[in-house]
Amino acid sequence: MSLAGFLIKLLPVKPVFAHCDIPCGIYDPHTAQLAAKTVLKMVQKINELDSSPAKPDQNDNLTDRNNFVRMVMVKEEHAELCKKEVLILWTDYFKDEHLKKFPNLHDLIWKTTKLCSDNKRMIDEAKAQELIEAVDVIADIFEQTKK
Amino acid sequence: MRFPFSRYKVYGNSMLPVFKPGQEVLTFNWAHFFSRPKIGDIVVIKVKGKEIVKRIQKLCKDGYFVQGDNAPESTDSRDFGPIDKSKIVGKVIVVVR
Repeated sequence: MSLAGFLIKLLPVKPVFAHCDIPCGIYDPHTAQLAAKTVLKMVQKINELDSSPAKPDQNDNLTDRNNFVRMVMVKEEHAELCKKEVLILWTDYFKDEHLKKFPNLHDLIWKTTKLCSDNKRMIDEAKAQELIEAVDVIADIFEQTKK
Repeated sequence: MRFPFSRYKVYGNSMLPVFKPGQEVLTFNWAHFFSRPKIGDIVVIKVKGKEIVKRIQKLCKDGYFVQGDNAPESTDSRDFGPIDKSKIVGKVIVVVR
Protein backbone atom coordinates (compact mmCIF):
# COMPACT_ATOMS: atom_id res chain seq x y z
CA MET A 1 0.00 0.00 0.00
CA SER A 2 1.32 3.47 -0.91
CA LEU A 3 1.81 6.14 1.74
CA ALA A 4 -1.13 8.10 0.33
CA GLY A 5 -3.28 4.98 0.49
CA PHE A 6 -2.22 4.39 4.08
CA LEU A 7 -3.00 7.98 5.08
CA ILE A 8 -6.40 7.82 3.37
CA LYS A 9 -7.23 4.71 5.37
CA LEU A 10 -6.58 6.67 8.58
CA LEU A 11 -9.45 9.03 7.80
CA PRO A 12 -12.80 8.17 9.38
CA VAL A 13 -15.33 6.97 6.83
CA LYS A 14 -18.69 8.78 6.58
CA PRO A 15 -21.76 7.86 4.55
CA VAL A 16 -22.57 9.83 1.41
CA PHE A 17 -25.88 9.19 -0.26
CA ALA A 18 -26.41 8.65 -3.95
CA HIS A 19 -30.07 7.79 -3.83
CA CYS A 20 -33.53 9.22 -3.48
CA ASP A 21 -35.46 9.78 -0.28
CA ILE A 22 -36.04 6.06 -0.26
CA PRO A 23 -33.79 3.44 -1.89
CA CYS A 24 -33.97 3.78 -5.65
CA GLY A 25 -35.30 1.53 -8.32
CA ILE A 26 -38.37 0.40 -6.44
CA TYR A 27 -40.92 2.48 -8.31
CA ASP A 28 -43.15 0.22 -10.35
CA PRO A 29 -46.65 0.72 -11.77
CA HIS A 30 -47.32 -3.00 -11.59
CA THR A 31 -49.01 -2.83 -8.18
CA ALA A 32 -51.43 -0.17 -9.46
CA GLN A 33 -52.18 -2.26 -12.55
CA LEU A 34 -52.90 -5.36 -10.47
CA ALA A 35 -55.08 -3.35 -8.09
CA ALA A 36 -57.10 -1.93 -11.02
CA LYS A 37 -57.61 -5.43 -12.43
CA THR A 38 -58.75 -6.65 -9.00
CA VAL A 39 -61.34 -3.85 -8.91
CA LEU A 40 -62.76 -5.03 -12.25
CA LYS A 41 -62.80 -8.65 -11.09
CA MET A 42 -64.71 -7.70 -7.94
CA VAL A 43 -67.24 -5.64 -9.93
CA GLN A 44 -67.83 -8.65 -12.21
CA LYS A 45 -68.23 -11.00 -9.25
CA ILE A 46 -70.65 -8.64 -7.51
CA ASN A 47 -72.71 -8.41 -10.72
CA GLU A 48 -72.73 -12.21 -11.03
CA LEU A 49 -73.92 -12.52 -7.45
CA ASP A 50 -76.66 -9.99 -8.06
CA SER A 51 -77.95 -11.81 -11.16
CA SER A 52 -78.01 -15.26 -9.54
CA PRO A 53 -81.47 -16.49 -8.49
CA ALA A 54 -82.51 -16.21 -4.85
CA LYS A 55 -81.71 -19.36 -2.89
CA PRO A 56 -84.32 -21.11 -0.79
CA ASP A 57 -81.78 -22.22 1.81
CA GLN A 58 -81.09 -19.52 4.38
CA ASN A 59 -77.48 -20.67 4.83
CA ASP A 60 -76.84 -20.15 1.11
CA ASN A 61 -78.28 -16.66 1.34
CA LEU A 62 -76.02 -15.88 4.28
CA THR A 63 -73.02 -17.14 2.33
CA ASP A 64 -73.95 -14.87 -0.58
CA ARG A 65 -74.32 -11.88 1.72
CA ASN A 66 -70.99 -12.67 3.32
CA ASN A 67 -69.35 -12.95 -0.11
CA PHE A 68 -70.96 -9.68 -1.20
CA VAL A 69 -69.52 -7.80 1.77
CA ARG A 70 -66.08 -9.33 1.19
CA MET A 71 -66.13 -8.42 -2.52
CA VAL A 72 -67.09 -4.83 -1.74
CA MET A 73 -64.31 -4.67 0.84
CA VAL A 74 -61.72 -6.00 -1.63
CA LYS A 75 -62.95 -3.57 -4.31
CA GLU A 76 -62.68 -0.70 -1.83
CA GLU A 77 -59.19 -1.70 -0.65
CA HIS A 78 -57.81 -2.18 -4.15
CA ALA A 79 -59.28 1.06 -5.50
CA GLU A 80 -57.57 2.83 -2.59
CA LEU A 81 -54.30 0.92 -3.19
CA CYS A 82 -54.43 1.85 -6.88
CA LYS A 83 -54.92 5.52 -5.99
CA LYS A 84 -52.05 5.42 -3.48
CA GLU A 85 -49.62 3.75 -5.92
CA VAL A 86 -50.46 6.18 -8.73
CA LEU A 87 -49.97 9.13 -6.38
CA ILE A 88 -46.58 7.76 -5.25
CA LEU A 89 -45.44 7.65 -8.88
CA TRP A 90 -46.74 11.17 -9.38
CA THR A 91 -45.19 12.77 -6.30
CA ASP A 92 -41.98 10.74 -5.94
CA TYR A 93 -41.03 9.37 -9.34
CA PHE A 94 -42.11 11.67 -12.16
CA LYS A 95 -39.94 14.73 -12.63
CA ASP A 96 -40.08 18.01 -14.59
CA GLU A 97 -38.33 16.43 -17.57
CA HIS A 98 -41.06 13.75 -17.74
CA LEU A 99 -43.75 16.44 -17.65
CA LYS A 100 -42.12 18.25 -20.53
CA LYS A 101 -42.18 15.05 -22.55
CA PHE A 102 -45.69 14.05 -21.42
CA PRO A 103 -47.54 17.32 -20.82
CA ASN A 104 -50.84 15.56 -20.13
CA LEU A 105 -49.36 13.69 -17.13
CA HIS A 106 -50.91 15.88 -14.39
CA ASP A 107 -54.33 15.64 -16.02
CA LEU A 108 -53.97 11.90 -16.56
CA ILE A 109 -53.04 11.29 -12.90
CA TRP A 110 -55.90 13.50 -11.71
CA LYS A 111 -58.44 11.66 -13.87
CA THR A 112 -57.07 8.24 -12.88
CA THR A 113 -57.27 8.95 -9.16
CA LYS A 114 -60.80 10.29 -9.69
CA LEU A 115 -61.61 6.98 -11.40
CA CYS A 116 -60.34 5.16 -8.30
CA SER A 117 -62.86 7.13 -6.23
CA ASP A 118 -65.63 6.47 -8.78
CA ASN A 119 -64.94 2.77 -8.52
CA LYS A 120 -65.21 2.91 -4.76
CA ARG A 121 -68.62 4.55 -5.00
CA MET A 122 -70.04 2.54 -7.89
CA ILE A 123 -70.40 -0.98 -9.19
CA ASP A 124 -69.84 -0.22 -12.84
CA GLU A 125 -67.88 -2.50 -15.15
CA ALA A 126 -67.27 0.28 -17.68
CA LYS A 127 -65.72 2.50 -14.99
CA ALA A 128 -63.51 -0.37 -13.79
CA GLN A 129 -62.36 -1.01 -17.36
CA GLU A 130 -61.67 2.71 -17.77
CA LEU A 131 -59.49 2.59 -14.65
CA ILE A 132 -57.44 -0.31 -16.02
CA GLU A 133 -56.88 1.55 -19.29
CA ALA A 134 -55.88 4.78 -17.51
CA VAL A 135 -53.38 2.95 -15.27
CA ASP A 136 -51.97 1.17 -18.33
CA VAL A 137 -51.35 4.55 -19.98
CA ILE A 138 -49.46 5.71 -16.85
CA ALA A 139 -47.48 2.43 -16.85
CA ASP A 140 -46.61 2.98 -20.51
CA ILE A 141 -45.36 6.51 -19.76
CA PHE A 142 -43.34 5.09 -16.84
CA GLU A 143 -41.72 2.52 -19.15
CA GLN A 144 -40.86 5.20 -21.69
CA THR A 145 -39.12 7.28 -19.01
CA LYS A 146 -36.88 4.31 -18.24
CA LYS A 147 -35.52 4.13 -21.82
CA MET B 1 -12.58 25.55 8.49
CA ARG B 2 -13.13 22.00 7.33
CA PHE B 3 -10.40 19.37 7.31
CA PRO B 4 -8.99 19.31 3.73
CA PHE B 5 -9.90 15.68 3.03
CA SER B 6 -12.88 13.44 3.83
CA ARG B 7 -13.43 9.79 3.17
CA TYR B 8 -16.96 8.66 2.26
CA LYS B 9 -18.69 5.39 1.58
CA VAL B 10 -21.30 5.61 -1.22
CA TYR B 11 -24.85 4.39 -0.57
CA GLY B 12 -27.32 4.12 -3.45
CA ASN B 13 -27.38 3.81 -7.23
CA SER B 14 -27.68 7.34 -8.55
CA MET B 15 -23.99 7.67 -9.48
CA LEU B 16 -23.76 4.39 -11.38
CA PRO B 17 -21.72 3.42 -13.32
CA VAL B 18 -18.99 5.70 -11.90
CA PHE B 19 -19.62 4.87 -8.24
CA LYS B 20 -21.13 1.61 -7.15
CA PRO B 21 -22.84 1.28 -3.77
CA GLY B 22 -20.23 0.42 -1.15
CA GLN B 23 -17.36 2.14 -2.93
CA GLU B 24 -15.28 4.62 -0.96
CA VAL B 25 -14.23 8.02 -2.26
CA LEU B 26 -11.93 10.76 -1.09
CA THR B 27 -12.93 14.40 -1.35
CA PHE B 28 -10.73 17.49 -1.32
CA ASN B 29 -12.71 19.98 0.71
CA TRP B 30 -10.60 23.01 -0.15
CA ALA B 31 -10.79 22.48 -3.92
CA HIS B 32 -13.20 25.32 -4.45
CA PHE B 33 -11.17 27.80 -2.38
CA PHE B 34 -8.69 27.79 -5.25
CA SER B 35 -10.96 27.36 -8.27
CA ARG B 36 -14.63 27.63 -9.14
CA PRO B 37 -16.67 24.44 -9.36
CA LYS B 38 -16.73 23.29 -12.97
CA ILE B 39 -19.20 21.38 -15.10
CA GLY B 40 -18.36 17.69 -14.78
CA ASP B 41 -16.98 17.92 -11.23
CA ILE B 42 -18.32 15.21 -8.93
CA VAL B 43 -19.09 16.87 -5.62
CA VAL B 44 -20.39 16.03 -2.18
CA ILE B 45 -23.11 18.50 -1.27
CA LYS B 46 -25.21 19.04 1.80
CA VAL B 47 -28.97 19.04 1.19
CA LYS B 48 -31.47 19.07 4.04
CA GLY B 49 -28.75 18.02 6.49
CA LYS B 50 -27.73 15.03 4.40
CA GLU B 51 -24.51 14.65 2.42
CA ILE B 52 -25.12 13.43 -1.11
CA VAL B 53 -22.85 12.90 -4.10
CA LYS B 54 -23.76 14.28 -7.55
CA ARG B 55 -22.16 15.68 -10.69
CA ILE B 56 -22.31 19.37 -11.63
CA GLN B 57 -24.21 19.43 -14.87
CA LYS B 58 -24.61 23.12 -15.57
CA LEU B 59 -24.12 26.52 -14.07
CA CYS B 60 -27.29 28.55 -13.59
CA LYS B 61 -27.66 32.14 -12.54
CA ASP B 62 -29.07 30.95 -9.21
CA GLY B 63 -26.47 28.26 -8.49
CA TYR B 64 -25.10 24.93 -9.60
CA PHE B 65 -27.39 22.36 -11.20
CA VAL B 66 -26.32 18.90 -10.01
CA GLN B 67 -27.57 15.56 -11.25
CA GLY B 68 -26.83 11.88 -10.70
CA ASP B 69 -25.15 10.06 -13.59
CA ASN B 70 -27.87 7.41 -13.32
CA ALA B 71 -30.63 9.97 -13.90
CA PRO B 72 -33.69 7.68 -13.69
CA GLU B 73 -32.67 6.67 -10.16
CA SER B 74 -31.53 9.99 -8.82
CA THR B 75 -33.00 12.76 -6.72
CA ASP B 76 -31.10 15.92 -7.56
CA SER B 77 -31.46 19.51 -8.80
CA ARG B 78 -34.42 18.37 -10.89
CA ASP B 79 -36.19 18.04 -7.52
CA PHE B 80 -34.51 20.46 -5.11
CA GLY B 81 -33.31 23.04 -7.66
CA PRO B 82 -29.83 24.47 -8.22
CA ILE B 83 -27.61 24.61 -5.15
CA ASP B 84 -25.51 27.42 -3.76
CA LYS B 85 -21.70 27.09 -3.75
CA SER B 86 -21.78 27.14 0.07
CA LYS B 87 -23.61 23.77 -0.03
CA ILE B 88 -20.64 22.08 -1.72
CA VAL B 89 -18.70 20.15 0.91
CA GLY B 90 -15.90 18.87 -1.33
CA LYS B 91 -14.84 17.61 -4.71
CA VAL B 92 -14.34 13.89 -5.26
CA ILE B 93 -10.72 13.34 -6.26
CA VAL B 94 -10.04 9.65 -5.68
CA VAL B 95 -11.99 6.41 -5.61
CA VAL B 96 -10.48 4.57 -2.65
CA ARG B 97 -11.73 1.13 -3.63
